[in-house]
Amino acid sequence: MALSKEIYAAFQDVVGEENICDDPVIMPSYHSTEHAAVILPGNTAEVQAIVRLCNKYKLKMRAVCTGWTGMFPPGIVYLDLRRMNRIIEINEKNMYAVVEPYVITAQLQAELMKRGLHMNVKGAGANCAAMLRGHGHLDQTTSGDDRNHLAIEWVTPEGNIVKSGSLGSSDEWFCGDGPGPSLRAILTSAVPPGVTPGVFTKAALKIYHWPGPKQFPVQGVSPDYSLSEIPKNMMARYYSFPSVEKMWQAEIRLGENEIAFELMGFNVAMVAANIAKNNEEEEVLFKKLSQEVQGPGFFVILAGNSAADFEYKKMALEQIVKDAGGKSLKSIEDPRTEGIIMCQCVRISASIRETFRPGGAFSSIPVMGQRDLTIRWAVGAGKAKMPLIEKGLIVDDGGGFFGWGVEQGHLGKTEIFCKFDPQNPEAKAAVEAWSKEQSARAFNERYFAVLMGPVDQMGPGLSNFHLWWKKIQQAIDPNGISPEAGALV
Amino acid sequence: MGLEQYKGDMEMCCRCSACKFIPLQKVAGFQFANVCPSISRFNFHSYSGGGRVNIGAAMLKDGFKYSDKLLHIVYNCQVCGACGVSCNYAMDMEVTEPIQQFRIKCVEDGKTSPALDKVIAGLRQQGSMVPVAGKRGDWASGLNLKNAAREKVDVLYHVGCLTSYDKNMQKLARATAKILQKAGVNFGIAGDAETCCGGRAYQMGYKEDFLNQAKKNMAMIKEAGVKTVVTACADGYQAFKVLYDQYGLKGNLEVLHISECIDSLVQSGKLKLSRKVDLAVTYHDPCRLGRLGEPWIHWEGKKKPGDRFVFDPPKIYRRGSHGVYEPPRNVLKSIPGLKFGEMTRIKEYSWCCGAGGGVSDSNPEFAGWTAQERLEEARSTGAEAIVTACPWCERTFNEAVQGSGSNLKVYDIVELVEQAIQ
Repeated sequence: MALSKEIYAAFQDVVGEENICDDPVIMPSYHSTEHAAVILPGNTAEVQAIVRLCNKYKLKMRAVCTGWTGMFPPGIVYLDLRRMNRIIEINEKNMYAVVEPYVITAQLQAELMKRGLHMNVKGAGANCAAMLRGHGHLDQTTSGDDRNHLAIEWVTPEGNIVKSGSLGSSDEWFCGDGPGPSLRAILTSAVPPGVTPGVFTKAALKIYHWPGPKQFPVQGVSPDYSLSEIPKNMMARYYSFPSVEKMWQAEIRLGENEIAFELMGFNVAMVAANIAKNNEEEEVLFKKLSQEVQGPGFFVILAGNSAADFEYKKMALEQIVKDAGGKSLKSIEDPRTEGIIMCQCVRISASIRETFRPGGAFSSIPVMGQRDLTIRWAVGAGKAKMPLIEKGLIVDDGGGFFGWGVEQGHLGKTEIFCKFDPQNPEAKAAVEAWSKEQSARAFNERYFAVLMGPVDQMGPGLSNFHLWWKKIQQAIDPNGISPEAGALV
Repeated sequence: MGLEQYKGDMEMCCRCSACKFIPLQKVAGFQFANVCPSISRFNFHSYSGGGRVNIGAAMLKDGFKYSDKLLHIVYNCQVCGACGVSCNYAMDMEVTEPIQQFRIKCVEDGKTSPALDKVIAGLRQQGSMVPVAGKRGDWASGLNLKNAAREKVDVLYHVGCLTSYDKNMQKLARATAKILQKAGVNFGIAGDAETCCGGRAYQMGYKEDFLNQAKKNMAMIKEAGVKTVVTACADGYQAFKVLYDQYGLKGNLEVLHISECIDSLVQSGKLKLSRKVDLAVTYHDPCRLGRLGEPWIHWEGKKKPGDRFVFDPPKIYRRGSHGVYEPPRNVLKSIPGLKFGEMTRIKEYSWCCGAGGGVSDSNPEFAGWTAQERLEEARSTGAEAIVTACPWCERTFNEAVQGSGSNLKVYDIVELVEQAIQ
């Protein structure tokens, strides 16, 4: 797997001795894969030079940001983008921010909040790259997926620098689609480095109005943080409903009335995880909250742009919840709990406590689509978890799923987790089987297609998209240096 | 058990990178969001808390393969515990302990840093982590202090190596003694009978040397019949309070840091801070007084069978929640005329001064780089001075100030209290 001395020296000439390493001892910290080398480029020019060398020496490469997850063929050149960590611009007038790949969301978000602005925090968490493509709890008001990407600077797999959208014809980042080349369909299949070949070196992100404080008044010592006061124009609540249909009815009306700053269809296990400071507390709280709720539910944050606006939103929310037979979870109304879950869900996207802490790992089936349809599928997928829960193979979450509408609409994200111990082979196998079965069920029963699943099976039902995509990939990556794999965060 | 004991914890790392940053709710902007000096300086993920436990887990599984790179990773870490705090906001797993145990394993396997070997050779020969000049208690000449090894005292002031022998640091010992005298505390020093606490040797991975020192100190304390030890050094505080307890040597000894002692004396009216000190300051939390100074928790148990990582009996993690954070702040706020402002990274998520883990000996350039980052943060508050509560921090900051030509002043808290009581 090791690079020859000549090739190593060529890469070293680009980034310097300190920023390249092929010692196998570091590889366990890079997803335990035998990479040919790990390289830390510092800027676009260095990325370009590395990619050109990969073409010259026919080496596969892969670029990664904070690197939460990923799949890597052995022997690749791993580009750790950690040194590319600058906020290039925050354009308050035109409401976009330009960042390099290793600016994490928590950093950009904090800078934006000071300026009365905000952004989409992806579900992977504020510890991940700000330019990451994806969905998050704030999709209601900050949209999701590729909708937030404007102009992008992209080093293609052949080592050319492509500037998309307005950046292609000027020095402006305000638009991803022109004046200049729009490559949205290719570039935004995953930003930053994901299934799109090449490396994204800068991206402009759409930013939004933030009616909250410049900084949340967090007090206490970790992990026992709370807010010294709830911002006067903000409120967080969790509502449970008598049925999935009633919950959906309330969700769609909240969207129609455009009143929720955040709407997150937490299941009660996720609520417990976010409040509890450790696993023991979480287990107890989950049982307690499960008794308090009447059925499925969602978490809402309201944020008023004025006192009158806030009052209106509260009244509208109350009416919508009442009409759907909803019930507020008293535990969340406690200001201490309300404050911290509000702050967590705005700032962190709450992710790690929900996903990794209870069991050590999780498997997820995420889907973007028509919410009522995907919810119906998720109910079945949740029920299918119950035998695994009863056998103690996965963490008991009551068979829960979660999701939310995007842009206050009926389209949205639905997702379901299985949390399990990755060191337990029986649990791992059971979760893999569940994932396969439920993905197949989604396709066979015509709910949706899980594109991370077997594309050869799904492609023919979707205009053979996979064959077209392969042709595009071959065209832009003739030497095949940028391998396909799952999304990276 | 050593590193093996933490196998499950290390395998738990989800590689989320939270260990690189201060707790995410506390990130206040682009600047000062990093929490780990090692990953901040060397950039490869392997230098982060997560990367270190990834490597530890792999080596337990596949065998220990030492290389120069591995030793560079191991010895370029202050073992400051910041990664553990950030991780433990969300995760239930040990981070700092396995990093420490990995280093102990390296030393046990003879994979040491030559610079640290030299320091430890000095410890073995002379009972000190710094070069010895004169006798341990020479600094106390003329102060008329009791010798706790010979006279009955309520409190033993354990001075520590750096404060005892470094001519530039002896002022801290004299200030501490004057404060205790002024408050009428019946205290003494052990003079020549004092020896190194062993704390820094432990941080460097030399567990046996630490244990030797700990046993010597506890034998002397037992002989003297002392019930309370006061240190003005964060390393000494952590050694007596946490590490001696971790290894079952502390018994019922009460251990106080001088800032806790002064806070209590001021609160009870036994010490009056009446003189004005006209200075704008910010406070640097020493790692081993703050997050790593929280009491050791003895726990033995097993994972409960089933889906969830819960234990019988429940495991209480040391997440940095119970370090000494408020007493030094209370003391500073009690000094008339002093203007106090906070930095971005404080308390449990404070940035290290750079000296921890023996880095000031094994890689002084990296220690200085770490200190510079902290000085920049201190300057950003508008402070004229950075105040700390540990001589190792003060020395590292002073060296960094001299290296940068900055006009920022550096004080230990006892120096300002001394000014306020004169």
